[in-house]
Amino acid sequence: MLLEVRDLHIGYGDAPAVWGASLDVDAGEIVSVIGPNGAGKTTLINAIAGLLRVRQGELRFDGADMRHVKAHEFCAHGIALVPEGRRLFVKMSVEENLELGCYLPAARAARAESLERVYGLFPILRQKRLQPAGELSGGQQQMVAIGRALMARPRIVLFDEPSLGLAPAIVDDMFDIIVRVRDSGAAVLLVEQNVLKALGVADRAYVLEQGRIMAHGVPDELMTQPHIREAYLGV
Amino acid sequence: MPSATLLGQALISGVLAGGMYGLLAMGLSLSWGLLRLVNLSHFALAFLSAYIVYELGTKYGVAPWWSAAMVVPLMFAVGASQYWLFDRFRVNELASLLITFSFAVIVEAGIQIYWTADYRRFETHYATESIKAGPFFIPVLDLTMCIVASVLAWGTWMWLRKTYVGKGLRAAAEDADIAAAYGVDHRKLAYILSGIGAAYAGIAGTFIALIATLAPAQIWAWLGVVFAVVIIGRLGNPMGALLAGMLIGASESLAMAVLSPAWAPVVSFSVLIVILLWDPEWL
Amino acid sequence: MAVNAAAALPRLVAVLAVAAFAALPMAGLPAFYDSFFYLVFFWISLATSWAILSGFAGYFSLGHAAFFGIGMYTTAVLTTWFEVPVLLTIPAAAGLAALFGVVIGAVVFRLRRLRGELFALLTLSVTFVIATIILNTPIDGGAGIFMSAVPIPNLLPTPTGSIYLMGFVLCVATLVIAWKVAHSRLGMGLYAIHDDEDVAESKGVPTFRYKIAAFALSAGIAGAVGGVHALYVGFITVAGTFELTVPLFVVLMSVIGGARHWFGPAVGATFITVLLYAFISGGEAMVGRAIVGVILILSILWLPDGVIPAAKAWFARRRPAPKRHSAEVAPVVPAARPVGDRNVLEVRGVTKRFGGLQALSGVDLDVREGEIVGLVGPNGSGKTTLINVISGHYPLSGGTIAVDGAQIGTLSAHEIARRGVARTYQIPRPFTNMTVLENVVAAATFGGAPRPAREIRDEALHWIGFTGLSGKEEMLPAALNLHERKFLELARALAARPKLLLLDEVLSGLNPAEVDNAIRLVRAIRAQGATIVFVEHLMRAVVELSDRVAVLNEGKLFALGAPREVMRDPRVVSIYLGKAYAA
Repeated sequence: MLLEVRDLHIGYGDAPAVWGASLDVDAGEIVSVIGPNGAGKTTLINAIAGLLRVRQGELRFDGADMRHVKAHEFCAHGIALVPEGRRLFVKMSVEENLELGCYLPAARAARAESLERVYGLFPILRQKRLQPAGELSGGQQQMVAIGRALMARPRIVLFDEPSLGLAPAIVDDMFDIIVRVRDSGAAVLLVEQNVLKALGVADRAYVLEQGRIMAHGVPDELMTQPHIREAYLGV
Repeated sequence: MPSATLLGQALISGVLAGGMYGLLAMGLSLSWGLLRLVNLSHFALAFLSAYIVYELGTKYGVAPWWSAAMVVPLMFAVGASQYWLFDRFRVNELASLLITFSFAVIVEAGIQIYWTADYRRFETHYATESIKAGPFFIPVLDLTMCIVASVLAWGTWMWLRKTYVGKGLRAAAEDADIAAAYGVDHRKLAYILSGIGAAYAGIAGTFIALIATLAPAQIWAWLGVVFAVVIIGRLGNPMGALLAGMLIGASESLAMAVLSPAWAPVVSFSVLIVILLWDPEWL
Repeated sequence: MAVNAAAALPRLVAVLAVAAFAALPMAGLPAFYDSFFYLVFFWISLATSWAILSGFAGYFSLGHAAFFGIGMYTTAVLTTWFEVPVLLTIPAAAGLAALFGVVIGAVVFRLRRLRGELFALLTLSVTFVIATIILNTPIDGGAGIFMSAVPIPNLLPTPTGSIYLMGFVLCVATLVIAWKVAHSRLGMGLYAIHDDEDVAESKGVPTFRYKIAAFALSAGIAGAVGGVHALYVGFITVAGTFELTVPLFVVLMSVIGGARHWFGPAVGATFITVLLYAFISGGEAMVGRAIVGVILILSILWLPDGVIPAAKAWFARRRPAPKRHSAEVAPVVPAARPVGDRNVLEVRGVTKRFGGLQALSGVDLDVREGEIVGLVGPNGSGKTTLINVISGHYPLSGGTIAVDGAQIGTLSAHEIARRGVARTYQIPRPFTNMTVLENVVAAATFGGAPRPAREIRDEALHWIGFTGLSGKEEMLPAALNLHERKFLELARALAARPKLLLLDEVLSGLNPAEVDNAIRLVRAIRAQGATIVFVEHLMRAVVELSDRVAVLNEGKLFALGAPREVMRDPRVVSIYLGKAYAA
């Protein structure tokens, strides 16, 4: 297993907490975590990205215990985050945002090659490369956020609500990109509110509700279970 | 209305004097803009450096550039240690202002105890030299200072824009968590930046020793103007700080020539008040 | 009786101290003591006046020298040029300084971002501008004003004694004013502004007016202090009056003593003045200054709130801890009151734009008396925005909102709060420096109808008990867990006796047991007859609690009706789970 999460407890300040979540991601897989707003999806993914401390439980990446690894060292292990709401460095140019993705020496060595790959994936970004990232449209900003993650040459990419606030046509593009990211060799952990889209691309999926994993399995099985409907609609 | 030659000379002197505002503003602007720390002791460090250069020069006959070679690394160390304190106690902007003010008071007291409150002047033969360009006089020292300030401002600006360390610092100033997720060790970079800011105070101090008359209370004399310059030049932007410094210097000098010398401070502060009330995005 | 005696003792000590200090100049001590004590009084008055704005309300000013200087020059000009008696110039000095404070405040307080270090810099700049203007106009002309010929009022046999007495009277008056403010409605509002200005406004604090009042008081006292000080220094120059050390020492003294406490600045001022004087008289003035600097650094790092709050906390720890109750609520649930016919809330065609983003476009919603309406919808559908426009946090872009038939669409947030709209925040935003009880009392004071303080306190205690926070009245919010802080939000909202209660994600972040507890609590609130609109993501709770559910999607009202019907409506299912799922 590439990523192993066992009985993870996370709680920070006043945000939604996670009370004992377990999940696995293997190399070459797309794994989705779905659940309604406030279920703790972002909390979970931020802890896996190293932004939040784990209170209890196990977090292993490629066999290494990540619980005491410093936040700025997660990236060196091959974990890259596409955060909720993009969180670009809005005053910096598009290209500088991408370059931040290859900040670490190993990734920096492949800067030119990675940059070509990202511009190949998102040609519009090449045109806008010198513009401040804050001036781009929502969809283009999402492209920058994904590009930034790819620049790190990650072994797993964590996507947090990539469809949030985007027009439906662009949402479809985003999910195509997620599949291409997986096809290029990185594993994908996807946290998403949009159930159909998230299940559509996933190899396996987990349902998170109120900080707990309520169900997991392959997408077709999950679709037929009542958990999702109850979690999202309460009936 | 004064003659055109007089106004021209006022403009030149103002721009050159403004180079000092810019030089002092740079270090302040970097730590405020990129580390969110308001370092009032910047002025005290500059004057401490000036006094050391003065002491070495007058007592031991050390040339100012050799003194600078010693003072600048010393100030770097002071700046980096200050960051240690801020980091250790998780100091916010307002508390950083109070702590560095206290630090400045301590340095001022130390200067006054060792060098007394008397005015001190480091007499050098190049202090009075100037180049004549048409009807105007350009003092060599002021010109040298402006060239050094420009090189530093431009160099720092390029460093922030072109190197990975610079980009990491700017990214961390916007969103430290996400920068960390891509490997930026913000604290390590902050030590460096804090040291560089203080090192600039050392460079400014060397020129203060050569150009100005030293007295402990002078530490506070430029505080208001330099803060105005920092804000007008945009926080965290060394080129902006230098240009704003020259702009304010020129306006002050013109105000002095046209009105009277005592009106000069109103210029910078009025500009600062207008900018604060205008409430631009980049504050 | 014992309680009365304990309460009377500090008062007795205070009266005796005032009498002793008032009589001191008659004791025939050398004039040195007169001027030493005068300086202590001077710094106490100045530091305390600074704290009324900057300590209480948190608007950190570095421009206190401006108001002090205005006072000095007012007295100097009036006495030397117009031969006005000194005692008459002091009110004039106070008045003019206060007027300046009001004018500056009226401009600056309209700009929301001018807080913190920017406000400090702005006030500092104002000082320099005023100084330069005085320097360059006939007021002073750069030469300064001699006051040697001004007759000092013969309050006491010696001139130093008279100045002492004036300084002393001003000092006592300042402390009385600071005490009064700290224990008044104004003070409570200022403390709330200090902790969270937006929340203060939404709880009914008229923040703009209060800040202006605090600025006027603070500047006015500083002006009066300057007026008296003009007599003490005798020769007034711009450089000596508007120097940086005045605001900086004032800040230092207040911060060391505790700027949020009415007596803190006095403690700090006394301490620093005595310390500096000890070194000056020992011929080591500079060593004294350096030591003051070291003390300030140490106190900011280790006692960031100042000596008085730290001492109070220490005494509180030494007292036995009060008995702790659990936060479990099991309220007796009376039969739910029927939903009335009258509309408490009428939302008509409400739109809200942020720049290019249309957050709400033409929402209509009626809520009847005693009804619970659940507000749901996907992320970004406009739920919290709707709560924010109803509570006045954001101004409307279009449409109307009426509460109890009265239009509130154009009112400011504190006026809306006064009309009976209370809200909670998804992430609890308690006033962090106030205890649980003070938090609820503040909400009851500014939100509800005017009542005697005793009644407000009882009511606050009632709601603290109702939300299961009994036993935690004296705790600071930071000592509560998330669950309890959410309930504190509720207690604050309920204490305002709202006609309409807006709840924003009360359940988010709670564990399953806490969620059940919270649901019971909302039921109990409802049983008291409250009308509630709540935003919630936990659908099981929405379905359980609501009379009707309103589904928002892309800023529009998408569906409205009984919860189980609405949530099974294929159109609603499709916006949550996609079309294929709905089929």
